[in-house]
Amino acid sequence: MYDYVAGKLDWLAAGGPIEGTDAATPRAGDVARGDVPTCGLDERLGEVQERTRPAGFDACVVVNQERVVLGLLRAKELDGDPASRIEAAMRPGPSTFRPHVRIQEMAHHMVDHDLENSPITTSDGRLVGLLRRDDALRVAHGRHQAEGDAT
Amino acid sequence: MTEAAPVVACVACGRAIDCCEFCDRPDCSTAICYRCVAVALRQATRDLHDHGG
Repeated sequence: MYDYVAGKLDWLAAGGPIEGTDAATPRAGDVARGDVPTCGLDERLGEVQERTRPAGFDACVVVNQERVVLGLLRAKELDGDPASRIEAAMRPGPSTFRPHVRIQEMAHHMVDHDLENSPITTSDGRLVGLLRRDDALRVAHGRHQAEGDAT
Repeated sequence: MTEAAPVVACVACGRAIDCCEFCDRPDCSTAICYRCVAVALRQATRDLHDHGG
């Protein structure tokens, strides 16, 4: 037997495997794009612009060497002066969400708040991926239809 | 003289906050505080319960 001292919620927030009747529900960590471009504080915005949009993203996550999220460059920040340092251009300390949040709830809130993307991190702040609203809506809609078909 | 941070009220509990904790916008019309967004997304529980052992 293993006693996870930090508790069940922390296990879920760390993206640990789950089982039970609700285990098949799609969650933010399942849908988030793990291949989101990342950059460090010391880079210049121009370098980041060159690799972010060609990769099909309009956001880049600023991380440290341990992949802990420090900031976020959304479309508005990415359009800034290419010579500026990331530390100055980024939005520091963005709101982040845990991998176990149900995708339907994330999609609902992202529409409500007109939010294009949200970083998904573990409870100790490490990047899991970037959840895009389009992806969240597509999966949530599919889930909604599947539930309708089952009834 | 410094400009005071804008204050909005959390739509769920009424607490005064500088910006919405979900979208980070100070002008969000459905601004919600950190605690309420954590509870709404089940990232936290509203009330901790006691275990017997």
